[in-house]
Amino acid sequence: MGRGTCLPHLLKVRLKWRPNSSKLLLEGPHIEILVSTTRPEFEEGRAIGLEYQELRVHALIDTGASLTVINPQIATTCKLLQTDWNRITTVGGMAGSYPAYAAAISFPETDLPNFDVIRVVACPIIEQRFFSCLIGRDILRKWLLTYDGPNGEVELKA
Amino acid sequence: MPPEDRTLQEELQVFEEHRHEWLSSNLGEFVVIVGSKVIGFHPDYESAFKAGLSAAGLGKNFLLRQVWAEEPVYLIY
Repeated sequence: MGRGTCLPHLLKVRLKWRPNSSKLLLEGPHIEILVSTTRPEFEEGRAIGLEYQELRVHALIDTGASLTVINPQIATTCKLLQTDWNRITTVGGMAGSYPAYAAAISFPETDLPNFDVIRVVACPIIEQRFFSCLIGRDILRKWLLTYDGPNGEVELKA
Repeated sequence: MPPEDRTLQEELQVFEEHRHEWLSSNLGEFVVIVGSKVIGFHPDYESAFKAGLSAAGLGKNFLLRQVWAEEPVYLIY
């Protein structure tokens, strides 16, 4: 078995939901997530009395996104630390350099493992009323995703 | 980046000054830079972030960038 190879039976957490076929077609597979400052900052800050805000948002599971994207307002509200600028190109050809932040992402009411420190890029997700975050392939590389269009089901294993 | 936004400009300048040297010594690693100071290299984003946080302190931005020959362009479809 090559390095990085993962056998599905080793993935212990399973999450399945059924939005129905039409809703899945219209909105895509999305999931509620909590975005906050990284776990190391949270723990260090809490020890000296600082408080941090967690934001609960809808996130689209987007196999077309090479990394995870948030609306810029989320970075401001959660006071995320900026760690870089990243170059982004979108399907419409829009290109630019956008701020990258370190964040924590968790999945409320599920057993999916948290991401305590993960890079997210703040890029406006426009004309979307369903979600304000794109879960990209940087997170998907840890998951097994099954999209069942005919039955309107989505399954995640992690 | 917006021309008026100078966030991490000092750190990015340090990165560019050392990029060629690091391509042979630290290709693929994550470098942490706080101000003009190079803190170190790490194999992954999380360990690099912890080192940067420890050096910079809470609430201060720092550069955390993987060493590549060319800056990657990420596609969002």
